[in-house]
Amino acid sequence: MKVKIFLNGEKIEMEINPLKRLIDVLREDLNIKSVKEGCGEGECGSCMVIINEKVYNSCLIPVGSVNNKKILTIEGIENKKILKEIKRRLKDEFQCGFCENGMLISLYALFKKKRKPNKEEIKEAISGNLCRCTGYQNIVNKLKIWKNS
Amino acid sequence: MKDIREYIDDIDFGEVLFGKTLYSTIPSGEILSIEIPNLPDGYFIVDRRDVPLNRVKVIDDEQPVFAERFVNYVGEPILLVVGKDKEILKEIIKEIKVHYREREKVLTIDEAIERKREIVRYEFRKGNVEDAFASAFDIVEGVYETGYQEHLYLETNGMVGIYENGKVSVFGSMQCPYYVKKALVYALKFPEDKVRVVQAKTGGGFGGKEDYPSLLAIQVAVASIKCKKPVKVVYDRKEDFIMTTKRHPSKIIYRSALDKNYRIVGMDVKIYLDGGAYTTLSPVVLQRAMFSAGGVYNIPNIKVEGVVLRTNKVPSGAMRGFGAPQNFFAIEMHIDDIVLKHNLNPYYYRRLMMIKTNDKTVTGGTYRGEIKIIDMLDNAVKKTDFIKKYERYKKSKNKGIGISCFFHGCGFTGSGEVLLKSTIKVKKIKDKIIIYMSNVDMGQKSPDGIRRIAAMALKIPLKNVIIEKPDTDIVPDSGPTVASRTLSIVGRLVKEACEEIKKNKDKDEIEIIRRFTLPEGLVWDGERFYGDAYGEYSFGINIAEVEYDNLTDEIKVLKIYGLYDVGNPVNEKYVHQQLLGGIVQGLGYAIFESLEIDSNGNFNKNSLTDYAIPTSLDIPEIRTEIYKTKGLFGPFGAKCCGELPFVGVAPAVCSAARIATGKKISKIPIKPEYLKRIKDES
Amino acid sequence: MEEFIIPKSLNEALRIMSEMDVEPFAGGTDIMVKYRYDKPAKPFLFIGDLKELRYVKDDGEYIRIGSSTTYSELLENRNIDKIFKEIIKKIASPSIRNRGTIGGNICNASPAADTLPFLYGMDCEVQIVSINNSRFIPIKDFIISPKRTLILKNELLKEIRYKKEKFNKYFYRKIGLRNANSLSKLSFFGCARIKKNIIEDIRISMGAVSPVVAREREIEKMLLGLDKKGLNSIKEEIIKRYEDIIHPIDDQRSTAEYRREIVLRILNYFLENIYII
Repeated sequence: MKVKIFLNGEKIEMEINPLKRLIDVLREDLNIKSVKEGCGEGECGSCMVIINEKVYNSCLIPVGSVNNKKILTIEGIENKKILKEIKRRLKDEFQCGFCENGMLISLYALFKKKRKPNKEEIKEAISGNLCRCTGYQNIVNKLKIWKNS
Repeated sequence: MKDIREYIDDIDFGEVLFGKTLYSTIPSGEILSIEIPNLPDGYFIVDRRDVPLNRVKVIDDEQPVFAERFVNYVGEPILLVVGKDKEILKEIIKEIKVHYREREKVLTIDEAIERKREIVRYEFRKGNVEDAFASAFDIVEGVYETGYQEHLYLETNGMVGIYENGKVSVFGSMQCPYYVKKALVYALKFPEDKVRVVQAKTGGGFGGKEDYPSLLAIQVAVASIKCKKPVKVVYDRKEDFIMTTKRHPSKIIYRSALDKNYRIVGMDVKIYLDGGAYTTLSPVVLQRAMFSAGGVYNIPNIKVEGVVLRTNKVPSGAMRGFGAPQNFFAIEMHIDDIVLKHNLNPYYYRRLMMIKTNDKTVTGGTYRGEIKIIDMLDNAVKKTDFIKKYERYKKSKNKGIGISCFFHGCGFTGSGEVLLKSTIKVKKIKDKIIIYMSNVDMGQKSPDGIRRIAAMALKIPLKNVIIEKPDTDIVPDSGPTVASRTLSIVGRLVKEACEEIKKNKDKDEIEIIRRFTLPEGLVWDGERFYGDAYGEYSFGINIAEVEYDNLTDEIKVLKIYGLYDVGNPVNEKYVHQQLLGGIVQGLGYAIFESLEIDSNGNFNKNSLTDYAIPTSLDIPEIRTEIYKTKGLFGPFGAKCCGELPFVGVAPAVCSAARIATGKKISKIPIKPEYLKRIKDES
Repeated sequence: MEEFIIPKSLNEALRIMSEMDVEPFAGGTDIMVKYRYDKPAKPFLFIGDLKELRYVKDDGEYIRIGSSTTYSELLENRNIDKIFKEIIKKIASPSIRNRGTIGGNICNASPAADTLPFLYGMDCEVQIVSINNSRFIPIKDFIISPKRTLILKNELLKEIRYKKEKFNKYFYRKIGLRNANSLSKLSFFGCARIKKNIIEDIRISMGAVSPVVAREREIEKMLLGLDKKGLNSIKEEIIKRYEDIIHPIDDQRSTAEYRREIVLRILNYFLENIYII
């Protein structure tokens, strides 16, 4: 099937099996390694992407269902101010790093929508991102005092 | 070359073949036949016939790389199907028919005890236990149980094997490159210089990538030799759940003889660990559990008997704490049992018996250096307003507060460090320092600590210190990344090497090699288990506050306070990160994470949907503080840190839950289903 | 053969369904997990993006929800009751809620489905359409047993509707494995309209303690017109009757014993406190 997506601002047209998972299309066909497979069932959040401004688990999305849609991964938002500020505040907090990209995607989507989320909103935004190393507390605390834009 | 600073599944190895495992679906049986369908071109079966010595050498070499005539657990690998297309591999696996003749299976600790299915058994004593019990004022006995825990590193196990010019190279997610190399040399019967192991960036380990990678490495190595192309195997979550190691479940029986002041004068401890189907690391896990038998208390007379049972389940392996969490849960709950029976105060009672400097350990060794556990307990109690809250919560219907006191022995158990003969190399080239060691980063950032030690020792900027990549062709064997040993043990060697370099300031280039030597004064008899099981210990106090929902029997942890003596921390920020992470993992062990076996030998869960680790919405208020002391042997007085914060959480939470519920909870995880049953029985 | 068919309109979707055997795919959060290890038997018909299936309307009498409306869209819509939003917020995680649909939750018909206790309580009806037919079925008749509904091969769930009732008491508890992102061990939904301390209407439904949602109008009718004293006098009998209609099981998440005990305790709590919540 012919599928057209806008990945990180770039138009990509593919002849591809529409049932192929978006995570596999990204990793195997488009060399986007930032999305990781931690579980394959939408529970861990390591494969998080942004589609038309909302976050999704790319392991649960057949590529045929995102025809004509705008997809963002970490590679596409690397230069955005919001992401840079999130990364600056969370400098050094991630440990093994496997959940990091998924978390950053969820946090980016949150801060894009709401400039000053409170602690509960931050926790809620990453409630679908599992982390086994950090215990979450520092990630939440280092972001909740966000005052400037 | 390849950027091994990426996770194994992200690295481009060019054209690779993928491998998928066919594993046993029964817990115990004989393989009568395996029907393999016709394979398309370019697809191979790799099995025991392809392994020159079909054994995984860990401590012994009991475990087959691929099953031979018998299978001994659900998940035991039988063969790999290797080929280009992952979907086709899945189809082939589905079509393979294995005919088993089922045999008798043993699935629980109790069954295994009854049938005397033992992997290993140890015993040691101190003092005169019989007399202590004969003259006891009172005797208190209790049984304490802990369950399985899955590591749940976010990155599953994965390896790539490459065979080129007679040499095998294995890249992958691992904690111990040299364990893997030794296992490859043994199984392939290759000379050492024809085997190379390189650690890729590793997405979490927690002990789950201590021994299992050796098995997977041998599989991809022989596959790449047979198929003449690089072979990659990366488990999906379900495979990782079913096939790889888990924390040892335990059943521990404590019997204490009390004098008329209720002080413990004698202890009789029986430790049973569920080892699964093969020996692997169990003897050492058992030892660490046994050496914690006295907890942080000065017990003059003690008999400790430990057994690892053999059951038809996946081999239990290393997991953060390595036997200590199981035992500290038991002894701290036992202390609470005594407190309950004789209406004592949990703070004062513990304080009464706590160890001091130069007291003797349960193996007749010495607690050396600054032993400040009493002061730590006093501080923690004050900080959390424990005394007032305890009185208040005891009267309340649904709140509780609990204490746990614990330690972690630094480095390898017993003579382990001596046997390891860890070696590091440090090179100075002009103003740069390059450190060669086989200890890896799996998220705990030990390499950063090592760099800091070098920078501090030589008084140079941190950016001038580089750590070489963990490639066995380049770095010497400085031992595995386990037992919280990297900073405290290997770090010391690095510091010593740097001091040598400092003495040779005038040399522009110099290379120093350091080997581990046992510090003066430490003695250990590994036959009799007598002497200094560890050179020194790190200590911790946890105080947990919980709330009990009377309606649903759920326990909610509200607060956890932790005070930790890890000696002189090299990087306080990173220490706190370990403390927070360890606490949340401990919370999972205490409350959320449960994994049981059904009568067919299958785990009742194999996905994240059902195996619940804590999320961001599950964490209580956590406060961690460091109590600074100066360690004796570690660099600049650093002691071990990585496992310690895990150990104390479950007992503190359970202690608090007992107050909140009014029930004598003696088993974790504390599931509401379980609380309901205690309620019914009382 | 096309494995993933993307119709451009509801009409086209229904025409395709009248001609061939397909499996409707809305958000796919259940389907994608289901088919991880097995190959799908039929092609999928992607209805998740059809505008005709994504809406929330208040037509004065009913709240009407298109079947492909996602949980997030429900959370963001002002026509959705606060209690329903509370329930939806406890489903899975933000990313799953962005994708999962109310129609999927209903048609999947899991005993632990999160939206069902509320929808049963509201006497919701589902609109089932085919190329030449449309019918409304009460949800309690639509769902037959776990994973089985009355829907035929050529039919689609188009809309969910429930009457805008005025209740003034709402209560919901979901017990999961942890605080977030967890399937339900059991759940309880209760609502009532109480005026001058008399129960004018009351709805009680329980999830994950039976093959389908446990709700019995005959038991509810016993509570109509009662004040607190009246309720207390028959409370034990009411609880006993609910015990008779639930059939909880042991599974990897919980036990029959726990589910039974807790759901009845929650029922007791609800009945004891209904006048004051």
